[in-house]
Amino acid sequence: MIISVILITLISIIFPGIISKTKAKIVGRKGPKVLQVFYDNIRLIKKGSVYSNTTSYIFQIAPIIYFSTILLATLFIPFGNYKALLSFDGDFVLFAYLLALGKFFMIIAAMDTGSSFEGMGANREAYYSLLVEPAFFIIIASVALLTNNTSFFDLFNSMHLDTELSYLITILAIYVFLWIAMVENSRLPVDDPKTHLELTMVHEVMVLDYSGFDLALIQLANGLKFSIYGALIFNFILPVQFSLLYQVLIFISIEIVFALVVGLLESFRARNKMMKNPQWIISLSAIAVIAFFSVLIISGKLILI
Amino acid sequence: MIFVLIILYAITLIYFVLSERVAKFIVLLSIQGFLLFFIALNNLIHIQLFGLVLILLETIGVKAIAIPWFLTKIRKTNKLNRVHESAVPVFYSIIIITLLLVSSFLVSNIFHCRTIQIKFLSVALASVFGGIYFIIIHKNIFSHLVGYLIIENGIFLLSLAVGNEMPFMVSLAVLLDVLIGILVIGIFLNKVGDTFSDISVNSLSKLKD
Repeated sequence: MIISVILITLISIIFPGIISKTKAKIVGRKGPKVLQVFYDNIRLIKKGSVYSNTTSYIFQIAPIIYFSTILLATLFIPFGNYKALLSFDGDFVLFAYLLALGKFFMIIAAMDTGSSFEGMGANREAYYSLLVEPAFFIIIASVALLTNNTSFFDLFNSMHLDTELSYLITILAIYVFLWIAMVENSRLPVDDPKTHLELTMVHEVMVLDYSGFDLALIQLANGLKFSIYGALIFNFILPVQFSLLYQVLIFISIEIVFALVVGLLESFRARNKMMKNPQWIISLSAIAVIAFFSVLIISGKLILI
Repeated sequence: MIFVLIILYAITLIYFVLSERVAKFIVLLSIQGFLLFFIALNNLIHIQLFGLVLILLETIGVKAIAIPWFLTKIRKTNKLNRVHESAVPVFYSIIIITLLLVSSFLVSNIFHCRTIQIKFLSVALASVFGGIYFIIIHKNIFSHLVGYLIIENGIFLLSLAVGNEMPFMVSLAVLLDVLIGILVIGIFLNKVGDTFSDISVNSLSKLKD
């Protein structure tokens, strides 16, 4: 259903604004308007892009591919008891690899610039993505094991919060998805979007050479990514018997709460040392493994003898 | 509810090897104490009142409040902030502790004994071996103390696994044992801290008659 795409896109416009506003309020500043990031992006879209002579066509097409893959990924997100526009068995694999494809192009575009800083950022981005991917797949595999389904729509629709095991998986899935969203968007504690030192940057250093329209696409795509993960969390906790209006209201509330939580986490958490990031990210996969084996054993699907 | 608590307990073991701050160890021990309190409350609600009150006091009073308070005092006296010297990189430790948890889940599921409650046994084994692993990879006395407490929490879960309750005297003896252990190691740690201005066990090799 198209409503999920529309809502995810609309929420992605205000998502970064809510995060900045929360962070500003916590430190006692007035902060920018919630829509300020969107206005900035509109301004950037009106501008042209500047390309370095050392870059090739890869650098120019990467932002478009990045944005379009993430937009395409939103088509896979169901909305409560309404099917997603694209839904089939194993759709979550394509969903994950669409996000990975966009990231891949951003990584090779960063390396295309020939800048040592951007190459370093690309290296880190690839490493962190590699570490966070098992967490996503294992947690989705746990839900698939619990519900005996393999598409996003069936997974979420068969997942009822009625057993102890379903509560356990939902709590762990929300926790893991929250941190995956932070890692995927290069936010604290893995990366700090406010930092001005290239040596400590991950994502921001990769997009240093982008300007105008391309930069706007990258920023819009980042907002979209956040609201996609918010939509996944919404699908985990929504009771399906609600009417469409209530579902929309709950969706908006969950996305706003998600943005507030991200703002709070960013306000009260320090950035990890760069060398501590891999161990922190792998702990998410470790939690997902615990969830997976719990489902396997508690649901009696693993018979050892 | 019981599964949620047990799995949360298992997750605290991962955070033990991930953390490097001493204050975080203490918070995690306190969380484990509260989790054990709720696990005991959930599982032992039907036993006689005196035994239940004692076990609940042991978990919430001693494990969740008294021991963390005492450890915080030791931490402040010795100005301990971070544990630097882990013998194994944390990245590998997380993988090892996860494998430990998974193998403990699998091993305990092989048991088909009516008197053993598998749900407790699986995490109890992981906690005991996790505590031993924690002691092995750290060189300072405070971490050894934390590892000892993780093992003790594992033994508490083991007692829930093998029977509904430990005999009253056994429970009391374990509690006393732990308290005296903590007090003795705490005083020892303070003395080592005063003498060497460092609590690494390497400093003890300098001791002479």
